[in-house]
Amino acid sequence: MNQYARMIVVLVIISLVAGAVLAFSYKVTNPKIQEQAQQALQQAVLKVIPGAEKMTAVEKQGMTLYIGMDNQGNKKGIAFKTTGSGFSGPIEIMVGYNPREGKLTGIEILSMSETPGLGARIKEPAFTDQFKDKSVSDEFIPKKDVKVVTGATISPTAVSKAIKSSLAEVTKIYPVGGDF
Amino acid sequence: MTQLIKDFTNGLWNENPIFRAVIGICSALAVTTAGQNGIAMGLALTFVLTCSSILVSLLRSIIPPKVRIPCYIIVIATFTTMVDLFMKAYFPPLYQVMGIFIPLIVVNCIVLWRAEGFASKASLARSIADALGMGLGYAWAITLISIVREVLGSGTLFGINVMGQATHWVIMLLPPGAFLVMGILVGIMNMIARKSVKNTHCH
Repeated sequence: MNQYARMIVVLVIISLVAGAVLAFSYKVTNPKIQEQAQQALQQAVLKVIPGAEKMTAVEKQGMTLYIGMDNQGNKKGIAFKTTGSGFSGPIEIMVGYNPREGKLTGIEILSMSETPGLGARIKEPAFTDQFKDKSVSDEFIPKKDVKVVTGATISPTAVSKAIKSSLAEVTKIYPVGGDF
Repeated sequence: MTQLIKDFTNGLWNENPIFRAVIGICSALAVTTAGQNGIAMGLALTFVLTCSSILVSLLRSIIPPKVRIPCYIIVIATFTTMVDLFMKAYFPPLYQVMGIFIPLIVVNCIVLWRAEGFASKASLARSIADALGMGLGYAWAITLISIVREVLGSGTLFGINVMGQATHWVIMLLPPGAFLVMGILVGIMNMIARKSVKNTHCH
Protein backbone atom coordinates (compact mmCIF):
# COMPACT_ATOMS: atom_id res chain seq x y z
CA MET A 1 0.00 0.00 0.00
CA ASN A 2 1.42 3.37 -0.82
CA GLN A 3 1.94 5.75 2.06
CA TYR A 4 -0.90 8.13 1.15
CA ALA A 5 -3.50 5.37 1.04
CA ARG A 6 -2.16 4.10 4.35
CA MET A 7 -2.45 7.53 5.95
CA ILE A 8 -6.08 7.80 4.90
CA VAL A 9 -6.98 4.26 5.93
CA VAL A 10 -5.40 4.58 9.38
CA LEU A 11 -7.02 7.95 10.09
CA VAL A 12 -10.42 6.72 8.92
CA ILE A 13 -10.23 3.58 11.05
CA ILE A 14 -9.12 5.51 14.15
CA SER A 15 -11.91 8.06 13.65
CA LEU A 16 -14.52 5.35 13.15
CA VAL A 17 -13.49 3.48 16.29
CA ALA A 18 -13.41 6.72 18.28
CA GLY A 19 -16.86 7.62 16.98
CA ALA A 20 -18.26 4.22 17.92
CA VAL A 21 -16.76 4.38 21.43
CA LEU A 22 -18.19 7.84 21.96
CA ALA A 23 -21.62 6.86 20.67
CA PHE A 24 -21.64 3.96 23.09
CA SER A 25 -20.53 6.11 26.07
CA TYR A 26 -23.20 8.65 25.21
CA LYS A 27 -25.86 5.96 25.07
CA VAL A 28 -24.79 4.59 28.45
CA THR A 29 -24.55 7.93 30.23
CA ASN A 30 -27.34 9.94 28.61
CA PRO A 31 -30.31 8.49 30.58
CA LYS A 32 -28.37 9.01 33.79
CA ILE A 33 -27.49 12.59 32.82
CA GLN A 34 -31.14 13.36 32.02
CA GLU A 35 -32.21 11.80 35.29
CA GLN A 36 -29.66 13.88 37.21
CA ALA A 37 -30.84 17.06 35.51
CA GLN A 38 -34.49 16.22 36.26
CA GLN A 39 -33.62 15.42 39.88
CA ALA A 40 -31.67 18.64 40.29
CA LEU A 41 -34.61 20.59 38.88
CA GLN A 42 -37.11 18.91 41.18
CA GLN A 43 -34.85 19.42 44.19
CA ALA A 44 -34.51 23.11 43.39
CA VAL A 45 -38.28 23.54 42.96
CA LEU A 46 -39.05 21.77 46.24
CA LYS A 47 -36.40 23.81 48.01
CA VAL A 48 -37.79 27.20 47.00
CA ILE A 49 -41.40 26.25 47.84
CA PRO A 50 -41.58 25.40 51.56
CA GLY A 51 -43.91 22.52 52.31
CA ALA A 52 -43.95 21.21 48.75
CA GLU A 53 -43.47 17.47 48.30
CA LYS A 54 -44.06 17.10 44.57
CA MET A 55 -44.36 19.26 41.51
CA THR A 56 -45.99 19.52 38.11
CA ALA A 57 -44.78 21.62 35.22
CA VAL A 58 -47.20 23.87 33.35
CA GLU A 59 -46.64 25.92 30.20
CA LYS A 60 -48.27 29.32 30.22
CA GLN A 61 -47.68 32.15 27.77
CA GLY A 62 -44.35 30.74 26.71
CA MET A 63 -43.10 30.33 30.27
CA THR A 64 -42.52 27.06 32.07
CA LEU A 65 -43.82 27.23 35.61
CA TYR A 66 -43.60 24.56 38.25
CA ILE A 67 -46.43 24.19 40.74
CA GLY A 68 -45.38 22.75 44.07
CA MET A 69 -47.89 20.72 46.06
CA ASP A 70 -47.86 18.85 49.35
CA ASN A 71 -48.85 15.19 49.59
CA GLN A 72 -52.59 16.00 49.82
CA GLY A 73 -52.37 17.94 46.56
CA ASN A 74 -52.73 21.36 48.19
CA LYS A 75 -50.91 23.92 46.08
CA LYS A 76 -48.10 25.47 48.06
CA GLY A 77 -46.64 27.89 45.55
CA ILE A 78 -45.15 28.24 42.12
CA ALA A 79 -41.55 28.24 40.98
CA PHE A 80 -39.93 29.46 37.80
CA LYS A 81 -36.50 29.69 36.29
CA THR A 82 -34.90 32.96 35.33
CA THR A 83 -31.51 33.96 33.99
CA GLY A 84 -29.45 37.01 34.83
CA SER A 85 -26.25 38.14 33.13
CA GLY A 86 -23.56 37.99 35.75
CA PHE A 87 -19.94 39.10 35.83
CA SER A 88 -18.59 36.21 33.78
CA GLY A 89 -21.60 34.46 32.30
CA PRO A 90 -25.26 33.72 32.82
CA ILE A 91 -26.65 33.06 36.30
CA GLU A 92 -29.57 30.63 36.40
CA ILE A 93 -31.93 31.13 39.31
CA MET A 94 -34.94 29.19 40.55
CA VAL A 95 -37.47 31.49 42.21
CA GLY A 96 -40.31 30.41 44.46
CA TYR A 97 -43.40 32.65 44.53
CA ASN A 98 -46.64 32.51 46.47
CA PRO A 99 -49.34 34.50 44.63
CA ARG A 100 -51.81 34.32 47.55
CA GLU A 101 -49.47 36.30 49.78
CA GLY A 102 -47.64 38.14 47.02
CA LYS A 103 -44.34 37.05 48.47
CA LEU A 104 -41.27 35.18 47.34
CA THR A 105 -40.82 31.88 49.14
CA GLY A 106 -37.12 31.47 48.41
CA ILE A 107 -34.51 31.42 45.67
CA GLU A 108 -31.83 28.98 44.64
CA ILE A 109 -28.87 29.60 42.31
CA LEU A 110 -28.85 26.73 39.82
CA SER A 111 -25.73 27.52 37.86
CA MET A 112 -23.27 30.37 37.53
CA SER A 113 -19.65 31.03 36.74
CA GLU A 114 -18.95 34.01 38.97
CA THR A 115 -15.59 34.72 40.58
CA PRO A 116 -14.92 32.19 43.36
CA GLY A 117 -14.82 33.84 46.76
CA LEU A 118 -16.48 37.01 45.49
CA GLY A 119 -19.48 36.86 43.17
CA ALA A 120 -19.79 33.12 43.67
CA ARG A 121 -20.92 33.79 47.23
CA ILE A 122 -24.38 34.65 45.90
CA LYS A 123 -24.87 30.89 46.21
CA GLU A 124 -24.54 31.03 49.98
CA PRO A 125 -27.62 31.13 52.23
CA ALA A 126 -26.37 34.43 53.68
CA PHE A 127 -27.31 35.99 50.38
CA THR A 128 -30.18 33.84 49.12
CA ASP A 129 -32.12 33.75 52.42
CA GLN A 130 -32.90 37.45 52.28
CA PHE A 131 -35.27 36.86 49.34
CA LYS A 132 -37.47 34.66 51.47
CA ASP A 133 -40.73 36.45 52.36
CA LYS A 134 -39.72 39.41 50.22
CA SER A 135 -42.78 41.15 48.77
CA VAL A 136 -43.02 41.09 44.97
CA SER A 137 -43.73 44.83 45.01
CA ASP A 138 -40.33 45.54 46.58
CA GLU A 139 -37.78 47.39 44.48
CA PHE A 140 -35.04 44.73 44.38
CA ILE A 141 -32.27 47.31 44.26
CA PRO A 142 -28.90 46.18 45.69
CA LYS A 143 -27.59 48.19 48.66
CA LYS A 144 -31.13 49.55 49.09
CA ASP A 145 -33.39 46.62 49.86
CA VAL A 146 -31.03 43.83 48.83
CA LYS A 147 -27.90 43.15 50.86
CA VAL A 148 -24.88 42.62 48.61
CA VAL A 149 -21.94 40.28 49.02
CA THR A 150 -18.72 41.94 50.21
CA GLY A 151 -16.56 42.88 47.25
CA ALA A 152 -19.14 42.04 44.64
CA THR A 153 -21.94 44.22 43.31
CA ILE A 154 -22.39 42.94 39.77
CA SER A 155 -23.52 39.41 40.66
CA PRO A 156 -26.13 40.41 43.29
CA THR A 157 -27.39 43.11 40.92
CA ALA A 158 -27.76 40.56 38.13
CA VAL A 159 -29.71 38.25 40.44
CA SER A 160 -32.00 41.04 41.70
CA LYS A 161 -32.64 42.39 38.21
CA ALA A 162 -33.43 38.96 36.80
CA ILE A 163 -35.88 38.21 39.61
CA LYS A 164 -37.58 41.58 39.36
CA SER A 165 -38.03 41.49 35.59
CA SER A 166 -39.29 37.90 35.52
CA LEU A 167 -41.66 38.64 38.41
CA ALA A 168 -43.24 41.31 36.21
CA GLU A 169 -44.07 38.56 33.71
CA VAL A 170 -45.15 35.99 36.25
CA THR A 171 -47.43 38.34 38.18
CA LYS A 172 -49.29 38.96 34.91
CA ILE A 173 -50.10 35.24 34.76
CA TYR A 174 -50.65 34.79 38.49
CA PRO A 175 -51.61 38.20 39.94
CA VAL A 176 -50.94 38.93 43.59
CA GLY A 177 -53.83 37.83 45.79
CA GLY A 178 -55.21 35.57 43.08
CA ASP A 179 -55.37 31.81 43.17
CA PHE A 180 -53.23 29.50 41.07
CA MET B 1 11.97 -3.10 36.50
CA THR B 2 14.34 -0.36 37.63
CA GLN B 3 13.70 1.30 34.26
CA LEU B 4 9.96 1.29 34.99
CA ILE B 5 10.46 2.82 38.43
CA LYS B 6 12.71 5.45 36.88
CA ASP B 7 10.05 6.25 34.25
CA PHE B 8 7.41 6.50 36.95
CA THR B 9 9.34 8.75 39.35
CA ASN B 10 10.53 10.94 36.47
CA GLY B 11 7.13 12.59 36.27
CA LEU B 12 6.70 12.80 40.02
CA TRP B 13 9.81 14.88 40.51
CA ASN B 14 12.59 15.29 37.91
CA GLU B 15 10.33 16.32 35.05
CA ASN B 16 7.24 17.22 37.07
CA PRO B 17 4.97 18.86 34.51
CA ILE B 18 3.97 21.77 36.73
CA PHE B 19 6.99 22.49 38.91
CA ARG B 20 9.91 21.43 36.70
CA ALA B 21 8.71 21.54 33.09
CA VAL B 22 6.12 24.28 33.76
CA ILE B 23 3.83 22.86 31.09
CA GLY B 24 0.04 22.53 31.05
CA ILE B 25 -0.31 25.26 33.66
CA CYS B 26 -3.48 26.77 32.16
CA SER B 27 -5.76 24.33 33.97
CA ALA B 28 -3.41 24.30 36.96
CA LEU B 29 -3.97 28.03 37.41
CA ALA B 30 -7.68 27.99 36.66
CA VAL B 31 -9.18 25.19 38.73
CA THR B 32 -6.95 25.34 41.81
CA THR B 33 -9.26 27.32 44.08
CA ALA B 34 -10.20 24.43 46.39
CA GLY B 35 -8.38 21.27 47.41
CA GLN B 36 -10.94 18.87 46.02
CA ASN B 37 -10.79 20.51 42.59
CA GLY B 38 -7.07 19.83 42.48
CA ILE B 39 -7.53 16.14 43.28
CA ALA B 40 -10.42 15.68 40.83
CA MET B 41 -8.68 17.49 37.98
CA GLY B 42 -5.47 15.58 38.68
CA LEU B 43 -7.25 12.22 38.57
CA ALA B 44 -9.18 13.15 35.42
CA LEU B 45 -5.95 14.09 33.67
CA THR B 46 -4.17 10.97 34.93
CA PHE B 47 -6.97 8.83 33.46
CA VAL B 48 -6.90 10.54 30.05
CA LEU B 49 -3.11 10.55 29.97
CA THR B 50 -2.76 6.87 30.88
CA CYS B 51 -5.43 5.68 28.43
CA SER B 52 -4.02 7.83 25.62
CA SER B 53 -0.46 6.69 26.30
CA ILE B 54 -1.55 3.04 26.23
CA LEU B 55 -3.25 3.45 22.85
CA VAL B 56 -0.52 5.58 21.34
CA SER B 57 2.11 3.09 22.46
CA LEU B 58 0.13 0.14 21.06
CA LEU B 59 -0.51 1.90 17.76
CA ARG B 60 2.96 3.37 17.40
CA SER B 61 4.02 1.05 14.58
CA ILE B 62 0.70 1.41 12.73
CA ILE B 63 0.27 5.19 12.76
CA PRO B 64 2.06 6.79 9.78
CA PRO B 65 4.42 9.52 11.03
CA LYS B 66 2.86 12.18 8.82
CA VAL B 67 -0.59 11.93 10.40
CA ARG B 68 0.51 11.11 13.93
CA ILE B 69 -0.67 14.37 15.51
CA PRO B 70 -4.28 14.10 14.23
CA CYS B 71 -4.33 10.48 15.38
CA TYR B 72 -3.12 11.40 18.87
CA ILE B 73 -5.65 14.22 19.10
CA ILE B 74 -8.53 11.90 18.14
CA VAL B 75 -7.45 9.38 20.79
CA ILE B 76 -7.07 12.08 23.46
CA ALA B 77 -10.36 13.77 22.55
CA THR B 78 -12.21 10.44 22.75
CA PHE B 79 -11.02 9.71 26.29
CA THR B 80 -11.61 13.28 27.40
CA THR B 81 -15.19 13.23 26.14
CA MET B 82 -15.72 9.93 27.96
CA VAL B 83 -14.50 11.45 31.23
CA ASP B 84 -16.74 14.44 30.57
CA LEU B 85 -19.84 12.28 30.02
CA PHE B 86 -19.23 9.90 32.91
CA MET B 87 -18.47 12.73 35.30
CA LYS B 88 -21.67 14.52 34.27
CA ALA B 89 -23.65 11.32 34.81
CA TYR B 90 -22.18 10.05 38.06
CA PHE B 91 -20.51 13.02 39.81
CA PRO B 92 -22.76 16.01 39.09
CA PRO B 93 -21.55 18.17 42.00
CA LEU B 94 -17.96 17.83 40.85
CA TYR B 95 -19.01 18.49 37.27
CA GLN B 96 -20.66 21.73 38.32
CA VAL B 97 -17.40 23.02 39.74
CA MET B 98 -15.00 22.07 36.97
CA GLY B 99 -17.24 21.21 34.04
CA ILE B 100 -15.67 23.64 31.61
CA PHE B 101 -12.13 22.53 32.37
CA ILE B 102 -12.66 18.87 31.57
CA PRO B 103 -13.10 19.35 27.79
CA LEU B 104 -9.96 21.48 27.90
CA ILE B 105 -7.88 18.40 28.77
CA VAL B 106 -7.92 17.77 25.00
CA VAL B 107 -5.64 20.73 24.49
CA ASN B 108 -3.66 20.19 27.68
CA CYS B 109 -0.12 20.06 26.36
CA ILE B 110 0.98 17.47 28.95
CA VAL B 111 -1.05 14.77 27.22
CA LEU B 112 0.26 15.55 23.75
CA TRP B 113 3.78 16.04 25.13
CA ARG B 114 3.85 12.53 26.60
CA ALA B 115 2.14 10.98 23.56
CA GLU B 116 4.58 12.57 21.14
CA GLY B 117 7.67 12.60 23.32
CA PHE B 118 7.41 9.28 25.07
CA ALA B 119 4.56 6.85 24.33
CA SER B 120 5.14 6.95 20.56
CA LYS B 121 8.67 5.70 21.06
CA ALA B 122 8.50 3.41 24.09
CA SER B 123 7.11 0.01 25.01
CA LEU B 124 3.66 -0.39 26.53
CA ALA B 125 4.86 -0.99 30.10
CA ARG B 126 7.20 1.99 30.03
CA SER B 127 4.49 4.21 28.55
CA ILE B 128 2.08 3.26 31.32
CA ALA B 129 4.71 3.91 33.99
CA ASP B 130 5.54 7.26 32.44
CA ALA B 131 1.88 8.30 32.05
CA LEU B 132 1.03 7.35 35.64
CA GLY B 133 4.07 9.21 36.93
CA MET B 134 3.31 12.31 34.88
CA GLY B 135 -0.40 12.24 35.75
CA LEU B 136 0.20 11.79 39.46
CA GLY B 137 3.01 14.34 39.32
CA TYR B 138 0.51 16.80 37.86
CA ALA B 139 -2.09 15.73 40.43
CA TRP B 140 0.07 16.29 43.51
CA ALA B 141 1.40 19.56 42.15
CA ILE B 142 -2.01 21.09 41.50
CA THR B 143 -3.42 19.66 44.72
CA LEU B 144 -0.62 21.42 46.60
CA ILE B 145 -1.36 24.69 44.79
CA SER B 146 -5.08 24.21 45.53
CA ILE B 147 -4.49 23.59 49.22
CA VAL B 148 -2.32 26.69 49.61
CA ARG B 149 -4.85 28.82 47.74
CA GLU B 150 -7.83 27.41 49.63
CA VAL B 151 -6.22 27.91 53.04
CA LEU B 152 -5.10 31.46 52.25
CA GLY B 153 -8.15 32.45 50.23
CA SER B 154 -11.10 30.99 52.09
CA GLY B 155 -9.48 29.81 55.33
CA THR B 156 -10.67 26.26 54.74
CA LEU B 157 -9.01 22.96 53.95
CA PHE B 158 -11.13 20.59 51.86
CA GLY B 159 -14.14 22.62 52.98
CA ILE B 160 -13.33 22.39 56.71
CA ASN B 161 -12.60 25.67 58.42
CA VAL B 162 -9.01 25.62 59.71
CA MET B 163 -7.98 29.26 59.84
CA GLY B 164 -11.11 30.85 61.29
CA GLN B 165 -11.36 34.41 60.04
CA ALA B 166 -7.58 34.91 59.95
CA THR B 167 -7.10 34.45 56.20
CA HIS B 168 -9.71 35.61 53.76
CA TRP B 169 -7.39 36.97 51.12
CA VAL B 170 -9.68 36.95 48.13
CA ILE B 171 -6.74 37.69 45.84
CA MET B 172 -5.56 34.13 46.44
CA LEU B 173 -8.73 32.82 44.79
CA LEU B 174 -8.36 35.15 41.81
CA PRO B 175 -5.97 34.61 38.88
CA PRO B 176 -3.15 36.75 40.39
CA GLY B 177 -3.19 34.50 43.47
CA ALA B 178 -2.66 31.47 41.24
CA PHE B 179 0.44 33.04 39.72
CA LEU B 180 1.77 34.13 43.12
CA VAL B 181 1.34 30.70 44.71
CA MET B 182 2.70 28.85 41.70
CA GLY B 183 5.70 31.15 41.35
CA ILE B 184 6.65 30.75 44.99
CA LEU B 185 6.18 26.96 44.87
CA VAL B 186 8.29 26.65 41.69
CA GLY B 187 10.96 28.70 43.45
CA ILE B 188 10.90 26.40 46.48
CA MET B 189 11.08 23.31 44.26
CA ASN B 190 14.07 24.78 42.43
CA MET B 191 15.79 25.44 45.74
CA ILE B 192 15.25 21.83 46.87
CA ALA B 193 16.39 20.50 43.50
CA ARG B 194 19.55 22.60 43.57
CA LYS B 195 20.40 21.37 47.05
CA SER B 196 19.96 17.73 46.10
CA VAL B 197 22.14 18.19 42.99
CA LYS B 198 24.90 19.71 45.17
CA ASN B 199 24.69 16.72 47.47
CA THR B 200 25.22 14.24 44.66
CA HIS B 201 28.24 16.22 43.51
CA CYS B 202 29.80 15.83 46.94
CA HIS B 203 30.05 12.09 46.60
